[in-house]
Amino acid sequence: MKKILFIALAALLFSSCEAFLDTESYTKKNTGNYPKTADDAIQMVTGVYATLNRVLANCGNSYYFAAQLLSDDMFAGGGENDKHWTSLEHLMYVDLNQYNSFWSDRYSGISRANMAIANLDKVEDEKLRNQLMGETLFLRALFYFELVQMFGDVPLITQVPQSVSEVAEYPAQSTQEEIYAFIAADLKKASDIMPNDKWNATVSGEGHATRWAAQALLARVFLFYTGFYGKTELPMMDEEFNITGKVTKAEVIAGLEDCINNSGHTLANDFRRLWPYSNSLSAKDYYYVEDLKNKGEYWLKDGTNPETVFAIKCSHLASWSTTTGYSNQYLLFFAIRNAGTGDQYKNVFPFGQGWGAGPVNPKLWEDWATQEPTDKRRKGSILAAADRPNYVYGADALMEETTLWQKKVIAITGAKEYEADGSIKTLYNSFTSSTEYYGDGESDDFQLGHETDVILIRFADVLLMHSELTETATGMNQVRARVGLPAVSYSFPALQKERRFELAFEGLRWGDMRRWGDNYAISALTGQLGHTIWNRGVQTIMKDQGAGYSARYQATRGFLPIPSSEVDLSDGVLKQNPGWGPEAVFGSWN
Amino acid sequence: MKNYLWKRLFAGIFLLLLASGTSFAAYGDLQQSGRTVTCVVSDNAGPVIGAYVVIRGTMNGGSTDADGRVVLNNVPDNTTLVVTFLGYVTQEIALMNNQTYVEILLQEDAQALEEVVVVGYGVQKKKLVTGATVQVRGDDIAKLNTISPFTALQSQAPGVTIVQNNGQPGSGFKVTIRGLGTIGASSPLYVIDGVVGGNLDNINPNDIESIDVLKDAASAAIYGARAANGVIMVTTKQGKLGKTTVTYDGFYGQQYLAKTPDLLTAQEYMVLQDEIRFNEGNPSYDWANLLPADLYQSVMNGSWKGTNWFKEAYNEGAPTQNHAVGITGGSELSRFSIGFSYSGTEGILGKPVQSQFERYTARINSEHVILKGRDFDIIKFGETLYYNYISNNGVATGDIYWNAIHNLLVANPLLPIYNEEGDWFNYYDKQSTGWKFDGNTGNPIGAFSNNGQGLNQSKSYSLRTTAYLEIQPIKNLVFRSQFGYNMSANTYRSYTAISAWSNNARTTLDNVSQSGSMGHDWKIDNTLSYSFNLNDNQFDILIGQSAEKWGMGQSLNASGANSIFPGYISPNTNINDVMDYAWVDNTKPTELSQRGAGGSVWGEGGIASFFGRINYNYKEKYMATVIFRADGSSNFARGKRWGYFPSASIGWTISNEDFMAGAADIIDFLKIRASWGQNGNCSIGNFQYLSTIAFDVSNGYYFAADKKTQTVGGYADILANPDVTWETSEQLNIGLDARFARGRLGLAFDWYQKMTRDWLLTAPIPGVYGLNAPAVNGGDVKNSGVELSLTWDDFVGDFRYGISLNGSYNKNEVTRIANTEGIIHGAANVLSQGTTEMYRAQVGYPLGYFFGYKTAGVFQNWDQVNNTAAKYDGAKPGDLIFVDTNKDGKITEDDRTMIGSGHPDFLMGFNLYFAWKGLDFSITGAGAFGQEIAKSYRSFADSPLQNFTTDIFGRWTGEGTSNKLPRLTTGSNLNWQNISDIYIEKGDYVKIQNVQIGYDFKQAFRKLPFGQVRLYVSAQNLYTFTKYSGLDPEIGYGYDQGWVQGIDLGYYPAPRTYMVGLNLKF
Repeated sequence: MKKILFIALAALLFSSCEAFLDTESYTKKNTGNYPKTADDAIQMVTGVYATLNRVLANCGNSYYFAAQLLSDDMFAGGGENDKHWTSLEHLMYVDLNQYNSFWSDRYSGISRANMAIANLDKVEDEKLRNQLMGETLFLRALFYFELVQMFGDVPLITQVPQSVSEVAEYPAQSTQEEIYAFIAADLKKASDIMPNDKWNATVSGEGHATRWAAQALLARVFLFYTGFYGKTELPMMDEEFNITGKVTKAEVIAGLEDCINNSGHTLANDFRRLWPYSNSLSAKDYYYVEDLKNKGEYWLKDGTNPETVFAIKCSHLASWSTTTGYSNQYLLFFAIRNAGTGDQYKNVFPFGQGWGAGPVNPKLWEDWATQEPTDKRRKGSILAAADRPNYVYGADALMEETTLWQKKVIAITGAKEYEADGSIKTLYNSFTSSTEYYGDGESDDFQLGHETDVILIRFADVLLMHSELTETATGMNQVRARVGLPAVSYSFPALQKERRFELAFEGLRWGDMRRWGDNYAISALTGQLGHTIWNRGVQTIMKDQGAGYSARYQATRGFLPIPSSEVDLSDGVLKQNPGWGPEAVFGSWN
Repeated sequence: MKNYLWKRLFAGIFLLLLASGTSFAAYGDLQQSGRTVTCVVSDNAGPVIGAYVVIRGTMNGGSTDADGRVVLNNVPDNTTLVVTFLGYVTQEIALMNNQTYVEILLQEDAQALEEVVVVGYGVQKKKLVTGATVQVRGDDIAKLNTISPFTALQSQAPGVTIVQNNGQPGSGFKVTIRGLGTIGASSPLYVIDGVVGGNLDNINPNDIESIDVLKDAASAAIYGARAANGVIMVTTKQGKLGKTTVTYDGFYGQQYLAKTPDLLTAQEYMVLQDEIRFNEGNPSYDWANLLPADLYQSVMNGSWKGTNWFKEAYNEGAPTQNHAVGITGGSELSRFSIGFSYSGTEGILGKPVQSQFERYTARINSEHVILKGRDFDIIKFGETLYYNYISNNGVATGDIYWNAIHNLLVANPLLPIYNEEGDWFNYYDKQSTGWKFDGNTGNPIGAFSNNGQGLNQSKSYSLRTTAYLEIQPIKNLVFRSQFGYNMSANTYRSYTAISAWSNNARTTLDNVSQSGSMGHDWKIDNTLSYSFNLNDNQFDILIGQSAEKWGMGQSLNASGANSIFPGYISPNTNINDVMDYAWVDNTKPTELSQRGAGGSVWGEGGIASFFGRINYNYKEKYMATVIFRADGSSNFARGKRWGYFPSASIGWTISNEDFMAGAADIIDFLKIRASWGQNGNCSIGNFQYLSTIAFDVSNGYYFAADKKTQTVGGYADILANPDVTWETSEQLNIGLDARFARGRLGLAFDWYQKMTRDWLLTAPIPGVYGLNAPAVNGGDVKNSGVELSLTWDDFVGDFRYGISLNGSYNKNEVTRIANTEGIIHGAANVLSQGTTEMYRAQVGYPLGYFFGYKTAGVFQNWDQVNNTAAKYDGAKPGDLIFVDTNKDGKITEDDRTMIGSGHPDFLMGFNLYFAWKGLDFSITGAGAFGQEIAKSYRSFADSPLQNFTTDIFGRWTGEGTSNKLPRLTTGSNLNWQNISDIYIEKGDYVKIQNVQIGYDFKQAFRKLPFGQVRLYVSAQNLYTFTKYSGLDPEIGYGYDQGWVQGIDLGYYPAPRTYMVGLNLKF
């Protein structure tokens, strides 16, 4: 009897085994049941945006950061252990795998975009679908544009693999022409299908990519491609991934004109209002913006600035446990390096503490004074810190220090308490921690408290690109008029100078240097040599490291090394860029 | 006698509570007529306590008392007494009809090989075992007086590598059997009281009856599913037939540092920091201006040597204690074993927030015969129950950013520890005294005492229970059904106080974090076994089925800032004064970002299994075992779920052959055995077969203008691998067991080769696909080795002595990794920020080997620099000579190679004992050889102002001064930033783990009302023979990777402990 019972029990268990072993995830969905709805599709597009913040979490390896240091706007800075910055400044390396996180994060954005694009047909509302599709295409194009500018030939991934068996082989690199043709198709489609709603602080101000952003980015891509490769048109891929089309200069200009005339974007009335140092809290104690304070015209808070065409959104809920990338880590990296003694930041108020990357090239400061002596933007963009009392040299082994710090992408503090005599007693690590901004007690961590957005495309750039493409001075003169400079007639050198001053420290100079020809780039790079700098507080001059700027640029044309872990993983499929052999190892500053 | 009755009553009540309704006939059966017989049982050493004497065929019997005496009433005529006692030959004595007094001399069971070992779903006579197993008796574990059974096991189980994670109480162990087979879950399968799962660390050593380790695939095959890493079977103490005995085992000890690091004094530190400046071409520091005047004076005139932070945090004489009470007894129908214990240990480091570890356990095991047949039990019921509660706090022992010991070792000796008020010297004291040398340096003790690195509290609760029913309808046909149920819960709190230590370590808002998690799991095992004998052919057949479900639980966490009970640990505060008030409810956050909350579900999973085993022997001369097991795991997709694991083994007891009869004087026992089998491993995350879409909080986007409202993002997080399935470990084992010289010399030898195939690993996939790699069956690992154990036991009159020695050698090699480069990369930034990958798994190398540059000394002069072709640009005298291993004439990243491995090649354990009358003495030790340690307390590459150990005096300061350490430079120099063999040291060691002298006062005072009164003194971790320069060469830490060990970033060393203890038996 008992045996029969046992056998019955065993039989029952056998038959129900498969069901017994089936499990379900209660915290994740899977590609079998997702995406199904329009909300799902919005989540997928949001997931693409999220990769922008992932890059911020490792911002020292990003294109934007590299472009700043590589340009002649900035030297390396940082401590002497930040050799990956010093080596980057001199187009050398300490670790061939340095850009691995950027490579993976950008490709993860591309992968998410590919998946979203393949699934957006599930959105029934046509306008919403076109908006989402356009945003995703814009982001994918932005990601590829940064990759191709940084690494040259990279694999072109357009679909999401379904299982691990499909990824056994490393995909071959596509040519730069193919990648630009793919970018062109994405941006062309994005600017064609996206709604032409005017810029509006409560809708498009919230960080979504727009038709106008796509037009502006297309112009930036067109200018770089035609300039760097010496072409007149931008190739364009069709849906079969064959280069059958093109984007002409006229189309790009038409896009820019659409943007200029119909977007609702305008220039801010005062150049300083673009930058967080003019915020209402810091302005109380910052003599430089006293006139703005008197007029009640402060920093144009994120989302309310009609000049921002596209920006990476930041938040004050960054944390070590979620991601530090929700905060604008560039502000921390480019902020003045920690000094040995206490509250030295009172001396450089309202600029806060950070890792000290990117001391400003004194040549820019000097050229500006000679070439545009009445330009308010010079002091609006650069802090001459040595003029401040008790400025500390060589803070925490700072390298390539020039005592000049840029004021655009830098941590900003605000006064928290005052002494009886009205002087500042204590500071917020970030002005955004104050009640005046997002409420008292918000993250006041000096590493995580930076919630101002990373502006990638500004309307002034749109105007200057329009001038450059049309060879007319209208746009340029609008930009000049804002800072009280007289109108000029168009010339290419005048345009180049205008871009250099207007857009300094915004991650654009490096692209401009490269696209204006190797000679321009090399002369700009070598223009950094011979200036006075301090290494660990000891005065010296900026010198060539390794083979020197000129030879290094000729060897690399400004492309950086493909991450070695990917090269290794590809078993010979990925070819390392020229110029990145052992001769480019950076040992120590000589 | 009164006492004896009382104890019986006590035990009876317990049993009644445990199993009301079962039969207790033995306790009431005393009311018939007949004579009274007094029996006195003894052995060669004197009276035997607890021997069971019963009138054959009845339940009339009893256990001997402390004098070896038992009185039987109602003894009928023509009777035979049966005397049983574990470890002795069972005797039957025919009573003469008028006899009222009988003396019985028990014979020790000389054939130790008659012992049975636990083999999974049953036991087997040790002499018939054909696989490679090792049994460690609970007594041998308990007598080493350790808090964790693992520490005691280290010296006793050849082939089992046990390394402490670090020396902090409660910090756990890394356990591997016969080498690492995977970079995933490599720990063996634990089976506690027949139920899979559980943590041996939670069990009090005094509760353990035996630990059996199943090492080869054939032995482990009965647990095929997850036995690829071997099986450790733990049996807690079971009830015994006989008089109820009560035992008490306890010790109290004090712990001390076995070795103190030599840190630089203030003056030495200043000299070396200036040397760095000098070597970089910079002027010396202006110390007089950078330091407060009086402090500078006291350093310069030598009246103050600077702060030795390590010593300041030393909790000298930290107490450790353990108390365990056990009650065991039973009749033929009911047996029970109950145990209660308390263990408490303080850590030797981290004062004033030194770790405190407390563990309470309760155990109730019993077994009852419900229906008894003529000579076998028809229905039997039993249960085991083990509850433990652990409360502990501790200091951080992780990577360089989460390691309080590291912080002590590198803290600046120029910084005072206390300010004038006797509180910690803090940021404001730096400001007010004019301490200006390094803005980022702060008081490490004040800091970790006031943040989560030291100010924390964990508690865990776990209940493990089993209940089983055995039905034996006909003799030797046994159906057994066992149900196991486990429940566990844990909580954690930490507090960060308002404090300021340096420019970048300031907390202006206090914060409480609280988390908890609880859940349960269950398993059911049904087996049917039958034993029969056909013409001397003995068969034991078992078939069974098992099912498990786990992961039914949830976790919650919350944090809040701005406590209404703001706490602070000053030098004289107790940690509980702060932690008692650290609750999220006590915080009053004023903004959203000041709170945090999260909750998640545990991942559910299950395994279903079917298995069978045939044990065969012919006259105990030829043995064979065949096992087959099929397992289905929920971790794999339908169609890939089932794994099939066969095994076979054979044995031949040569000494039982007639032709060996002539050698019987020399060879008592000789058996050779061979086994082959396959085991499985399925320990990966679930849902690797799907492309899952995640929605985690770190992948949203903040479109909203308020910068607080997150829009949820969804993204595919892994690439699907629908084919993922079982990993298989295949093992061949050949072994020998022998006893010589009348049983005095014992020998066991094993050779094995273990191939792990279809190794479950997550190999990097091309980054361009933008998805995380899933687990794949993508590699092979080979382990091979030998194990030897030798024992010698003898006596000369009353003097008994013995020695046991065991050793094992293992070689580990990765033979395949399924990606094009055949490498799984390790982490960068381990020794310091800015250093590259320092360990990896790679084809042709052992798992987790250290990866870096080889050096060939230090350039002594310019001639040598100029004559060396392969060097970095700018190399100077005093720089390291990196070896151009690939001979391309340059030093590049490609010159990096294997520079060591943290895994030992050879392990040994030994034990030596003497006993004379009541006196006993023993020494136990363990050693490991062939491993390397990567040591750097200092973050050379990124923190040039950290303190040094005096090892730095061996640096190069000019021609001929040093050929090992380069000249001092700041960290950015490749001399220090490259991971090279200057960070690697040999880690060979032999540890004297335990030295003990005890005396049993019962031997001198026979009248004592106890069976045993043994008092002992003992020293643990008495001495370590090693050339390793660090604090302790036994280093499990490997950047929190299970497959890496031997990384010393500043290590919590194991203490040296002196203790006294007492063993009492009633």
